[in-house]
Amino acid sequence: MKEKTIYEHLREKGVSRRDFLKLCGTIAGMMGLEFVAPVKAPGKSLSPSPEEIVAQALKTRPKVPIIWLEFQDCAGCSEAISRSSSPLLSNLVLNDIAIEYHETLMAASGFQAERAKEECLKKYYGKYVLVVEGSPTLAEDGIYCTVAGKSNLDLLKEAASGAAAVIATGNCACFGGIPAAHPNPTRAVGVADLIQDKPVINIPGCPAIPEVTTGTILHFLIMGQLPKTDQLKRPLPFYGNTVHDHCLRRPFYEAGKFAGSFDDEGAKKGYCLYQLGCKGPTTYNACAGLKWERGLSYPVQSGHPCLGCSEPHFWDGGGFYQGQSAPTIRLDKGSTATLVGAGVAVGAGLAGVNALKKSRAKKELKKQQASEARAETENKKEG
Amino acid sequence: MNWTEILNFSRGPLLHVAMIIFIAGLSYRLVRVLLLGWERDKAKNKGSKFWGAIVNYLKGLVVLPFIPWVRRTFRHNELTFIAGGLFHLSLFVILAFGTAHIMVWKSLCGFSWKGLPTPILAFFSATGIISMVILLLNRLTQPVLKLLTRFPVWINWLVVFLPMITGFIMARHLWFKYEVIFSLHLISVSLLLIWIPFGRISHFLFYFFSKTIHGAQAGKRAVTP
Amino acid sequence: MKSQKTQSAINTYLKETGGWVASQLEACTRCGICAEACHFYQALGNPEYAPVWKLEPLRRAYEQRFTVAGKFKLALGLDKKLADSDLEHWSKIVYEACTVCNKCAHVCPMGIQLGPLIHAVRAGMAAAGLVPADLAEATEKQKTIGSPLGVTDELWRERIDWITDEWEAEIPVDKVGAESLVVFTSIELMKFPDNLAAIAKILNKAGESWTVSSTGREVVNFGYFEADEELTRLFMHRVFKAAEELGVKRIIISECGHAYDAFRWAAPNLMKVPKGVEIVHISEYIHHLWKTGRLKLKEGAFDGETITFHDSCKIQRRGGIIKQPRELLRQLAPKSFVEMTPNKEQSLCCGGGGGVISIKEADANRYAVFEMKMAQLQEIQAKAVCMVCSNCRLQFVDSVGHFNLPIKVHGLAELVSKALI
Repeated sequence: MKEKTIYEHLREKGVSRRDFLKLCGTIAGMMGLEFVAPVKAPGKSLSPSPEEIVAQALKTRPKVPIIWLEFQDCAGCSEAISRSSSPLLSNLVLNDIAIEYHETLMAASGFQAERAKEECLKKYYGKYVLVVEGSPTLAEDGIYCTVAGKSNLDLLKEAASGAAAVIATGNCACFGGIPAAHPNPTRAVGVADLIQDKPVINIPGCPAIPEVTTGTILHFLIMGQLPKTDQLKRPLPFYGNTVHDHCLRRPFYEAGKFAGSFDDEGAKKGYCLYQLGCKGPTTYNACAGLKWERGLSYPVQSGHPCLGCSEPHFWDGGGFYQGQSAPTIRLDKGSTATLVGAGVAVGAGLAGVNALKKSRAKKELKKQQASEARAETENKKEG
Repeated sequence: MNWTEILNFSRGPLLHVAMIIFIAGLSYRLVRVLLLGWERDKAKNKGSKFWGAIVNYLKGLVVLPFIPWVRRTFRHNELTFIAGGLFHLSLFVILAFGTAHIMVWKSLCGFSWKGLPTPILAFFSATGIISMVILLLNRLTQPVLKLLTRFPVWINWLVVFLPMITGFIMARHLWFKYEVIFSLHLISVSLLLIWIPFGRISHFLFYFFSKTIHGAQAGKRAVTP
Repeated sequence: MKSQKTQSAINTYLKETGGWVASQLEACTRCGICAEACHFYQALGNPEYAPVWKLEPLRRAYEQRFTVAGKFKLALGLDKKLADSDLEHWSKIVYEACTVCNKCAHVCPMGIQLGPLIHAVRAGMAAAGLVPADLAEATEKQKTIGSPLGVTDELWRERIDWITDEWEAEIPVDKVGAESLVVFTSIELMKFPDNLAAIAKILNKAGESWTVSSTGREVVNFGYFEADEELTRLFMHRVFKAAEELGVKRIIISECGHAYDAFRWAAPNLMKVPKGVEIVHISEYIHHLWKTGRLKLKEGAFDGETITFHDSCKIQRRGGIIKQPRELLRQLAPKSFVEMTPNKEQSLCCGGGGGVISIKEADANRYAVFEMKMAQLQEIQAKAVCMVCSNCRLQFVDSVGHFNLPIKVHGLAELVSKALI
């Protein structure tokens, strides 16, 4: 039996052609597909418009099965997806593109669930997308996170071996996140550190913005490959700009107007939150553009500084409310005193040596003077 | 190694090590000089040492760097004097009232104050950079300075200039990605901190010695410093 | 090559380098502004005359012997060790192109006391025996004969007698129990006897109980010029001993800058000074006598030709006797007294102080500097100039002759004595 395309699947569910095209436009916009000017240049054929590309893909491609694994996590990213306020998209991903296995969301449990996963891995071998939420842990062969008696490392390797692509969602899966915060007792790492032989993409955030996760999945579905990424393997359409770049408080930053505390006059006037520890300038994420809750708001808009949750080691960045410019390792009074003490000790040591040198110089000068005086008196006698 | 890691490194361990060298090095240097021994000046005073020192500081901090022509002696070379004065003024304004710098002070000493509006800071940082360039040109052309300038002096200039220029570029969001220029700024600041105990930039410490000595000597002899 | 000479110089530098010296050497930023103050650099344009460059031997000794950074620099080849040739080179610079006037300290943004530090550099030269021959010769004369000009005891008595006769000014010699001991310079004795006579007249007129001493008869201190500590002490000791023997209350230093500096500011730190003996300069004492009414001066006695006042480095800039001579001059020439600019603490040096005038090789230097002084004088069209330092006066008289200027050179005491009522 030929697999049903997504379009057919949607038609069956009663989605009208008009709604379908609207959906295609939304998806194209979200993915950041470029629009090409509809002017036909001589000798050049008009390239298809973004929604045409999307529509074409949805009409011809079958569903992409998704295996969703969770390791050291809080399920926050799953929560974010399931409660995403763009129901169209999450429905699409949850139901139509089809998440075949998700420990938190699936109804099945226990052996039943495990069996479902095994079947799925076999059935879709080489075709499915593996989404990982939560950080794998290396310490003591991964015993700190086991499911059904298998360590997370084995689970990850097993699932990754047949995956067409791996998507790490949330800061934990990308960079280790909270479990990797100092002193990182479980030796949590990012998925990309372990999976080298498959295309891996990172969707960091705490949680990852659901539209970004779904957008990336759709990109894979539509274009057949993962989007272009930056150095940290983050998809450029969503992580190409900093939170600071598109910040709605940016004019206040440029004018040097800052809120000094959460409830001062500046805060009430909506001034820049830089002094309250905003990490916006170095945080690459789509918060300021996509926002949350159907574009309702995002932390900086609501009056809280950006924590930098899409950047590696954001827990160890010197404190959320600590100015970004402040050194992350602080010298406390004790260590400063020690350092001063060390300097003083060495200085005093050298001063001692110098004092010796000085007294020797004085002695030599005296000796010389005495001998000169002696020579002079002898000269006089002779004279 | 990507820029995020470089930034984390320069904000963390590098700056930390730089501060360690800075603090320990300066204490070492201060103690080494202090312990060379001091002799009391037994000559009777003619005037007040205290007032001499006060007048000397006021003149040196407020008057001479900005209106050097009050002294005819400085009329050969007003520009260098003003450039020197403006450089120091801008440096201190930026260090004390740049918002990012205030956050550093806050993390170090626990309290903060209000910064200056960005355009004013921009003006001062540009002034500081231009002054540095003028001072460099002066150093390259003036015969006395050519004679005095040895290799370490160029390091002095460079390690002061780099933080200023990177800071300026960063604050204006020019050309570079923020984390790149931020890292470069922090690396150059670390270089500066590490170099200070070894070079003549530590004059800010000994300034208080020589300036007090001169003021007191002048006051003692009842002359205006 | 490092010889015994260099070793002695370095030893002296190490001895001199306390916290006072080190902190100031450390404060230097190599900004070169001190060159603006130096009349030798301004007049001759030789960058080696920049005051800070004159400290080079001291700096090298300090950095290379006392600091890790200095040793490091040596190892890296960024600095050179002091060698005999260096000392010979700098000997010419510090003795022939520096009057130790300390104006550089007043322009230094850090306030570094370049004058005293250059004095320390000279001390090393003296220990190494690298003092210019002329200066060394004069010092030797002061050591053996008692006067750098070679005035023997007999000659001294003759001159005193002659002055007493010629100017009809009584000069008490070795009067035990006098209140003030006046100590003159050989320069005054031999070249400006009028000044000596003037001082005698003024003191007599004021009814001062004073005397001169035949043993402590030389106030000039060539040891101080050389910066040889032992000799400096020896020459001052002669005067202090005389003062103690005569039981005076104060020592009046005649018109000599270096001597005032040495007695007033250096002596207490170098040696034991007799207790209760005050050191005053003649100009401040004359001012004191006038202010307390013991002297009456004719107002406007010298009005007519423009007269100006030359500030000496040691008496004004480093001695603080700034307003007294001016008040006197305003009394003597209220209408024609005009100030030169810059003046007072910022004044331009005569170019002959600090022993420079006694070194023949430095003549070109000192004439070059005097050209700047000349320009200053011409700017206000001065017809006469007055000063309170015989060293300056010697330089002025010599240079005015050299350049053929129509300018009269006076000592302040000389003017005052002519205006006595």
